[in-house]
Amino acid sequence: MLETIKLSKTFKEKKAVDEIDMYLDEGESVGLLGPNGAGKSTTISMISSLLKPSSGDVKLNGLSTIKNPSEIRKVLGVVPQEIALYEELSAYENLKFFGKIYKVKKDILEERIQEVLEMVGLKERQKELVKTFSGGMKRRVNIAAALLHKPKILILDEPTVGIDPQSRNHILETVKKLNEETGMTILYTSHYMEEVEQLCNRVYIMDHGRVVASGSKQELLSILSTEDTIQVQLSKKSDALLEAIKGMAAVRQVEDTNHGIRVISKKGSNILADLVHAAENVGTQITHFQMEDPSLEDVFLHLTGKTLRD
Amino acid sequence: MYPVFLAQWMKDKRKPYLILLFIGLSILATIIFGDIDRIEQTTVAVYSTESNAEELEQKWMELLGHHDSIEFVWMDQEKAHAEVLEGNSDVALQIMENDYRIITANEMPGVFIVNQHVHQVFTEEAKLVAAAGTNSTTELRNEVGEYLKTPPITIQTKSLDGGELANHDMGMQLLFGFTLFIAMFTIGFKVNGITADKVSGIWNRLILSPVSKTNMYIGHLFYSFCVAFFQMMVVFLIFKYVLDYELGNFAMIVTIAAAFTLSMISVAMLITGFVKTPEQFYMVYPSLIPMIPVVSGVYMQPGTITNPILQFIADIFPLSHGVEAMMDVALYNAGWNDILLPIVIMLLIGVLAMGIGINIVERKK
Repeated sequence: MLETIKLSKTFKEKKAVDEIDMYLDEGESVGLLGPNGAGKSTTISMISSLLKPSSGDVKLNGLSTIKNPSEIRKVLGVVPQEIALYEELSAYENLKFFGKIYKVKKDILEERIQEVLEMVGLKERQKELVKTFSGGMKRRVNIAAALLHKPKILILDEPTVGIDPQSRNHILETVKKLNEETGMTILYTSHYMEEVEQLCNRVYIMDHGRVVASGSKQELLSILSTEDTIQVQLSKKSDALLEAIKGMAAVRQVEDTNHGIRVISKKGSNILADLVHAAENVGTQITHFQMEDPSLEDVFLHLTGKTLRD
Repeated sequence: MYPVFLAQWMKDKRKPYLILLFIGLSILATIIFGDIDRIEQTTVAVYSTESNAEELEQKWMELLGHHDSIEFVWMDQEKAHAEVLEGNSDVALQIMENDYRIITANEMPGVFIVNQHVHQVFTEEAKLVAAAGTNSTTELRNEVGEYLKTPPITIQTKSLDGGELANHDMGMQLLFGFTLFIAMFTIGFKVNGITADKVSGIWNRLILSPVSKTNMYIGHLFYSFCVAFFQMMVVFLIFKYVLDYELGNFAMIVTIAAAFTLSMISVAMLITGFVKTPEQFYMVYPSLIPMIPVVSGVYMQPGTITNPILQFIADIFPLSHGVEAMMDVALYNAGWNDILLPIVIMLLIGVLAMGIGINIVERKK
């Protein structure tokens, strides 16, 4: 349905997006994952025709949208990262404005406004001014505004940044429902791994403007099929231990986490005894350890050498 | 275009305070500062320390007393000085046999007017005394008075069209000046809505919608026009019908106001092109705009600004052209042909500034 072909964008000397090939099939929910500055928003801007690519193409049903963006704009709903609403107007007035802008017919506009408000759970508070809403509620109206014209493809650019868990769950549920019940094609960008894991059938992982991996969750996890992930908790943290573990031959990556350290090692290398000894040598103790199934977070760490929040 | 226009209206409908404040400011500023030229009766304390003070009082108080806006009141020296010191009177006048002294605390415009009148009376009297010689000055004065009832030469001053020569009305100039100046702020703050929409992401949403970019701009700019134009009209109507100012042909004033608004919207759009955020605009615009009426000489008598560089700067902004055209209509009964040039200049400024402004805004991504 939608594909990008060697899509690139260069700002002055800096290559923000570098020859990205992506595709979205009809009814799919696709995640675009990457840390801040990976080039996700630039990619989305080019796909949605807001930004002209330096090279490459975006095709909708086989037709280029670069020269004639009107076709993609008709079927696209974009939820921007920022709250693109008039804060001095009520939720209802904002939606009415965007409905008129999108030329939703007068006789069905009222009905559509109530539908999307119901969808985002703000029907009861539609008359209140947006500026009085919490961050999460604003984001929900932000999504509602992109749904008024019943787009076939919905692009969401980090729609859950900086909001409370309740609103976040509501947004995730709404997006899931839109995809499963209405068959809307979703492109969801985030740097929250668990959101993408929960919502998307396929994932593109971006770093430094490039797609470093793509595929279904299982396909991506299979990248780590040759590795074990061990979560270790310590009686006290030690930089020396971190260094000692990094020096072990079977260890591929070590990450300092809030609770202790996460070690990715060669599958079946059985380094537990070495870890215990190393801890004793630097004067600390392992209080708890756990073998973990690899997550997409581990895949990202493996591919880029850093965590998503770096 | 209409949804964009209506959205701006909906926002302002909830918070109309800025517009109301600006309307109030225009009226207040004109009333406060516009009255400089309409000086009320000035009271001047007159005294003399000469031995024949009573005789001098009789003579000079009669001669000085023929002035519409100055009232001369005889009092003793201490009281006269106290009046000036306490600020109750701008000027006191000490009378001597054939001379006078002005006592004042500061250089107020009234001092100049009083001095001019007193100097004229004393000079005339000195001429009469010299001409009378040993004869009676009173008789000569009466004789001259009789003679001047049918003077041999009369000078009549007329305007180019043969009518009465109009006096320059500073109050009227300030009315137009302040109204247009304060409308410039309204225009700027409304045009800044475009930058605000761009920063908030609303502009991108509009780009993705079926609304064309031209309509997006027109929606914003037409709204800015309507608000500023409405503000000016309210002020002009209040002055015309409530405060009885003679504004001349009102249709022409309305036309000039419309041309000025269009032109100034373009200038605001040009300034928008040079800023990245609405906050930057709020910093730059109010710093720049107050300089324009000063450079344009709106607060001063015509001809005060003679520096060609300042005159050039004034000419590239629509304010001086707008005020000048309105003054021509209100004071000199200018016709449509007379105001055509300033209108064309304002529209030309508008076309150029809008072209450059939108270009810069669009190039900035």
